[in-house]
Amino acid sequence: MSLRRLLPSAGLLAFTAYAALIYLFLYLPIAVIALFAFDSRAISGLPLAGFTTQWFAAAFADPALAGSMATSARLAAASALLATALAMPAAMVLAWFPLRWKSAVLALMLGPVVLPPLVLGLGLVMLARAAPGMIGEPAIIIAHATMTSSYAALMLYSRLLGFRRSYIEAAMDLGATEWVVFREIVLPLTAPALVAVFLLAFTDAFGEFIVAWFVAGFTKTLPIVIWTSLRQVISPKINAVSTLIIAATLLLSVASQLWILRQAGRARES
Amino acid sequence: MSRSEGVTLAGVVKRYEGHLAVAGVSLEVPRGAFVTLLGPSGCGKSTLLRMISGFAEPTSGDIRIGGASVVGLPPYRRDTAMVFQDYALFPHRTVEENLAFGLRIRRMDKPAIRARVAAMLEMLGLAGLGGRRVSEISGGQAQRVALGRALVVEPAVLLLDEPLGALDLKLRKQMQAELKRLHRELGLTFIAVTHDQEEALNLSDFIAVMNAGRIEQYGTPEEVYARPATRFVADFVGEANLVPATVEPDGLRLEDGTRLPLPEGGPGAVRAAAGAAVTLAVRPEAVEVHAAATGTRPGLAARVEEVLYSGAARRVIGRTAAGTRLTSLQPGAAAPPERGSLATFSWAPAASWIIPA
Amino acid sequence: MSAPGPAARRARRLAAAGLAPLLLWQCLFFLVPVGILAVISVWSMENYRLTPDLTLANYTAALGNAAVWRSLLLSVRTALFVTVACGLLAYPIAYFIARKVGRRLRLVLLVAVVAPFWISIVMRIAAWRILLGEHGVINQFLVGTGLIEAPLGILLYSPLSTMIGLVYAYLPLYVLPLYAAIDRIEQSWIDAAKDLNAGPLRAFWEVTLPLSLPGLVVGAVFCFIFGLGEFVTPALLGGGKQLLLSQIIQDQFQRRQDWPGGAAIAMVLMAMVMGLLAVSMRWLRRASGERP
Repeated sequence: MSLRRLLPSAGLLAFTAYAALIYLFLYLPIAVIALFAFDSRAISGLPLAGFTTQWFAAAFADPALAGSMATSARLAAASALLATALAMPAAMVLAWFPLRWKSAVLALMLGPVVLPPLVLGLGLVMLARAAPGMIGEPAIIIAHATMTSSYAALMLYSRLLGFRRSYIEAAMDLGATEWVVFREIVLPLTAPALVAVFLLAFTDAFGEFIVAWFVAGFTKTLPIVIWTSLRQVISPKINAVSTLIIAATLLLSVASQLWILRQAGRARES
Repeated sequence: MSRSEGVTLAGVVKRYEGHLAVAGVSLEVPRGAFVTLLGPSGCGKSTLLRMISGFAEPTSGDIRIGGASVVGLPPYRRDTAMVFQDYALFPHRTVEENLAFGLRIRRMDKPAIRARVAAMLEMLGLAGLGGRRVSEISGGQAQRVALGRALVVEPAVLLLDEPLGALDLKLRKQMQAELKRLHRELGLTFIAVTHDQEEALNLSDFIAVMNAGRIEQYGTPEEVYARPATRFVADFVGEANLVPATVEPDGLRLEDGTRLPLPEGGPGAVRAAAGAAVTLAVRPEAVEVHAAATGTRPGLAARVEEVLYSGAARRVIGRTAAGTRLTSLQPGAAAPPERGSLATFSWAPAASWIIPA
Repeated sequence: MSAPGPAARRARRLAAAGLAPLLLWQCLFFLVPVGILAVISVWSMENYRLTPDLTLANYTAALGNAAVWRSLLLSVRTALFVTVACGLLAYPIAYFIARKVGRRLRLVLLVAVVAPFWISIVMRIAAWRILLGEHGVINQFLVGTGLIEAPLGILLYSPLSTMIGLVYAYLPLYVLPLYAAIDRIEQSWIDAAKDLNAGPLRAFWEVTLPLSLPGLVVGAVFCFIFGLGEFVTPALLGGGKQLLLSQIIQDQFQRRQDWPGGAAIAMVLMAMVMGLLAVSMRWLRRASGERP
């Protein structure tokens, strides 16, 4: 075989090797956390001492840790629901209606995405001085809904740009009012995107630390509890909880993104 | 169907950000007629259709369906149904569910919907396909479903936006016959938009030829083809030889001095006062070509530029000394003139007509 | 202009109704808080009390402060480094996923790159601590295999660990727009270039690279903007010897209780972010799938 014939496969080999390294970089930290979550040593480190699941049991038996998980899940669900509900109508208007101030509106949507969270957090603290009752759970929900609704709107907007207008027109032509068109055509066809956006917003809100930390008051979310424990030696209980959450996060984000991408593929076919 | 209605457009203008898409169109579509809006892309025909269906509002003018103005009514309050160019079949619904959509919106009861949908499937030759997803049927079948979805709600007017544009040639011929049959059987008002002149000629009772936001001519296919009113129509519908001419007291004088009798009729004949510059139009099928010496009828001398053989006919293209292009299309058994030779292009005066210059 | 018809009025009402909730929400909880910071930044602090005022003293103090300048430059340098590193690392991966693997594998690989982005930042940092610490996994591994004699101290609580943490955080973010841009390039365009006798490298330089430019720019803009305002990663991995801009801001607010001073620096940071965003808006809209 000549060298020329070998070259393309050598290129592919190099690409594959490089890709393997990148994926190793991306998943090594996750693997390490999972590894120590199942190791019996109380202070994580090599060499491994032996397999155990005791840290998972201990984590759930720890009221502070288990309680903060429940709090985070509850707050994240509320803010993700709020964000999706705020984002969807706005995205439809942006994608389908002629708007004179479209650039300005898009810029406003992009604002919370690019604003350093630290600045948003400080700003919300100042705002909360006007309504001290908001500090704690309401403020966390508000903060996360603010951060996630903006990119939820942008993601949905981007999806809706590819939505065939003639579906809507055909339905209206057959007698469907705007609301019926939404219920019968738009909602079923965009449901996967909506679910995916909700899941991403939920995941993001669940893990967000800095803004929540500013406005939390005495509320303890899971990231805040972990942050506090980071000042000391990291307990394997934290590793156990992190392993569970990361597994769930990966599962959710993989599922939701595969869903979006497959849907996009199907839409292209039809 | 007795609910069929006529459509009246009165001075309809549509302006998009300073651009005049429809520049004042008045049109009477008789109840039960098949009318086609024919024109090149960008001539305003689709905009007109969208204004009738309610997806666009006229800047000024009035649109009446069955005598009642529909301007300002949203699409879902108009008694029109549209067959979309891309069919717009709902991808998350089956064939049956697509057909039932409009009836469900109208809150018809379920047994009645089922009966109507079954009858429509039968009529379109789609029986047995009702349970399929719309991604699982062929292009021709999708076209029928789109047609059926619009027809099943029994609209007063059926609108068709380039209905056969997405089909291949053979299917298109087949569906033309099908559309014609449906129109005859249902007696419904059909308004179609197309850029395909053959489709328009085959299908329509009346054709409105559009150009640059205006209607250039409105008439039966025969009128439009045999006596185009303007240079644009003559050129767009079929082919035409267009020869500059001057009206004289006893006939026509062509560019090279050839005199011909004044043809009767034709939209330009009315204004053909002596001395007026007009255009003489004649279809290539009516033009014969003879070697220069053997001509028996008066005609135009032209240098033969191209001889094209296409099986059923032979096309001879020539150019006069003044630069006018002439085309003859004759079933060609006779020996064709040679390329480069001088020949006479002639026609029976009755086959020609006069249009404004 | 003629008066809008009933249909146009209806469309306008619907548009307003759809946009209003989100716009009001963002005004109240995004613009107002930022506005409050802007207002505070021209107030003054007297005897540890906020006093309404109209002064640029906070800005002149901030811009006259060498520590602020040092942290500003450090922030820019860090963001720049992270942007370049992410771009260089991300391009081959995006290219590999878009052009070198089959349809099914492509989705899996793409999703696998992006998934770590959604893991909570505190968990990621916990993981890097376990890996990079003086008695961390990497040091133990290197000592154990005899590659080094003593554990490396610079792995954690150093600019190096901050960079690693930031590259880890933003690499997925860079791959996504790059992949989208490269995926949009038709193979036939590249084939055409090769058919016209361009070698693979030349074809890449003349066709692929220019056409993937929108993705490169969008990825760079977000990487840089996020890197500029990053707080948690440098605070927890950087060791606090050199402070970034966001850390200075937090320091002003929480330790020094100098809110106007902190707000002024926050305004400077925000102006940089928004300015960059305004400049790149055209690219962002193009990459979002909108027709130009």
